Amino acid sequence: MSGVLIHVPQDPPLTLRLGAGEVARFGRGSDTVAVELRLDDPAVSRLAGEIRVSEDHWLLSNLSATQSYLVENPEGAGEYLRVPPRRLGAPIPFEFARVVLPTRDRVVSFQVFAPDHVYLDPQGAVGGRPGTQTLTAYSLDETATYFLVLVALCEPRLRDESALAVPTTPEIVERLRQLPQCARLTARGVSAHIDYLAEEKLRIVLPESRDAGRGARRNGKREALVGIALRFGVVGESHLGLLPSRSAASCGGAQAVGR
Amino acid sequence: MSRGAEAERVPAGYRVGDWEVGAPIADGGWGWVYEGRGVRGTTDDHPAVVALKFLPTSGLAPQQARGLLECAHREREFGRRARHPRLIRVHDSLVLNEPAHPELDGAIVLVMERAERSLRQLLGGEAGLADGQTERILTQICEGLAHLHDLGWVHGDLKPDNILLMADGSVRLSDFGLASELDGTHGTHAWMPPLGTPDYLPPERWKAPLGERGVQARPSADIWALGIMIHQMFTGGISPFPGATPAARGAAAQEYAGGQAPLRLDPAVPPFWRDLATDCLAPTHEARSACTAGALLARIGAETPGGGKAVARANGDRRRRRVVLGAAAATALCAATVAGWVYVADDNSATRKDPVHADNVSDTAGPAPITVYNVEPTCRAHAADRDQQCSLGLAIDPLAPYTVANVVATRVWHGDVLTAQCRLPQGLPVTDEFGTRSTEWYRVRLPGGAADSTAWFPAVRTKDRPALPTCR
Repeated sequence: MSGVLIHVPQDPPLTLRLGAGEVARFGRGSDTVAVELRLDDPAVSRLAGEIRVSEDHWLLSNLSATQSYLVENPEGAGEYLRVPPRRLGAPIPFEFARVVLPTRDRVVSFQVFAPDHVYLDPQGAVGGRPGTQTLTAYSLDETATYFLVLVALCEPRLRDESALAVPTTPEIVERLRQLPQCARLTARGVSAHIDYLAEEKLRIVLPESRDAGRGARRNGKREALVGIALRFGVVGESHLGLLPSRSAASCGGAQAVGR
Repeated sequence: MSRGAEAERVPAGYRVGDWEVGAPIADGGWGWVYEGRGVRGTTDDHPAVVALKFLPTSGLAPQQARGLLECAHREREFGRRARHPRLIRVHDSLVLNEPAHPELDGAIVLVMERAERSLRQLLGGEAGLADGQTERILTQICEGLAHLHDLGWVHGDLKPDNILLMADGSVRLSDFGLASELDGTHGTHAWMPPLGTPDYLPPERWKAPLGERGVQARPSADIWALGIMIHQMFTGGISPFPGATPAARGAAAQEYAGGQAPLRLDPAVPPFWRDLATDCLAPTHEARSACTAGALLARIGAETPGGGKAVARANGDRRRRRVVLGAAAATALCAATVAGWVYVADDNSATRKDPVHADNVSDTAGPAPITVYNVEPTCRAHAADRDQQCSLGLAIDPLAPYTVANVVATRVWHGDVLTAQCRLPQGLPVTDEFGTRSTEWYRVRLPGGAADSTAWFPAVRTKDRPALPTCR
């Protein structure tokens, strides 16, 4: 239960972390109306809405009298919620959400991540009562893109190809792009997923990096991620089925060459 | 075959070593438990009826099987080394070699004492608990926990499901699959796989980082779980934290730990146990670390008539402890939670001198600056955040127990520079989280306060050793 993370993609980008039960207001703000998330657009109300962390999810209040807000699931193939004007405390079920406020000429939006969603362990016993079972404290959504990235990172080790090799970002992009839901995956996206896994989901502590070299540090994070995911059974051989099959990939490659 | 299949997994009459498999008892996260009947004569090590815990490894990926083996190994190892009347006894362990039964092949079987039922079953039962039964069960859980912690182990998954009741009504702690031994160098924490039962995890675990060796587990996590169970025992299984789901209750515990919500215990919990539960549920590891299972047991002994026996036993077991507790001082010990200092109650603490007053001080040498040092690395790394959980307290009287009433409102953090006026070599002993102990205190000027407002700062909280006059 580490709360939610709000990211406003403006210049400079603003990131806000809310703990359990905490509240952040958003809007244009003014001298009299204080907001934690300032959205600088004349079409946005001074006090446009409120985000409140509740249990493992969050609630969105639409304080506008006239405008609906949209909450999109960027990974949900078009899944979205409409929060009508004056609606208070609408629960948002997405782990990743993009809140979109309507404006005249451009889109004002920000992202909210809720990394605390809890999943039952895949190999958990059926007999136990929910709530009294021993669970992995770090549960991942096996249908999310970040999980695919993690499986791709672990693939060489799972296939016993190499005990050391961890794929690079371009290699992961290449590997996952064959999946329809990853067709638009970018290197930046992969890096963001790796950071999210390491920092928000598994909360990995890295051994002190001796060298301030940026590249070296990032590699350390990947290796730690793979090591921990395999050691604690977060990713297993059964998950390799989530990745595109290799033979099909080479087949596709051959077709492309043949054309 | 699916591991979750309801079909009978181990055929009745199946032979495991010297035991014959009988009726199923339970389905756990790790495997299945069956009753076993001895087919040989009965001895102390070979009772007529046992519980057989099957930990199957088939159908698991090599990585998962390895993890399970590790857990089984922990449990077996633990059973071998930590014999105690309050811990379930592991008589034997076997690995099955059954190529004809793929589901059983390679399974690990632990042969354990046969319990009557679990505390979870008792709490979920229709019948209420008999008079005094609640108190007796809680006392015995404390005894088991005190023994466990004294041996330098952390249970890691303490909950009513893992507390078993024998036919004679006595309590056994069980399920040591996550139990881990405290780190050898400091003895402050152990490492365990990132597993737990949400309702019994202390607030700090929800944010705990994961390293190569797993997550840090400290005895204070078991104390938190005990606090939850104390509440549950008097309320028919209700958690002290509101919410319909474990996630909701976890969030409520977070809000409480963050200072946004008070701890609201059910009025059904009697005052003595309410105080105990409150101390067990102190919001941070630091605050909880003063409240050890041994100290709790001593408090229970002082409260319960006829409880002296338990206390005597607990004190007799105290071989490996660095901190020796006296029964009379135990209340003060648990109350010393404000700053998370463990007070050592030496025998001579009873022959306490009069409180030292600030006006009895020589003015021969000038004051000296001292820098606050927090032994918790995370508190040092984030000193600038001035997180309440990392704050350290100052005492009003260095000879009085460190209770809420004996702490000034002003808090200090790592890196703060205080002006020390004089030193007191023989105050109440203070032990920090790493076991460093000192009786020395400094009288310091209160930061931001008037020139004449002072408080007492324990010398274990700084690395500076300035030459200062003795406070008289």
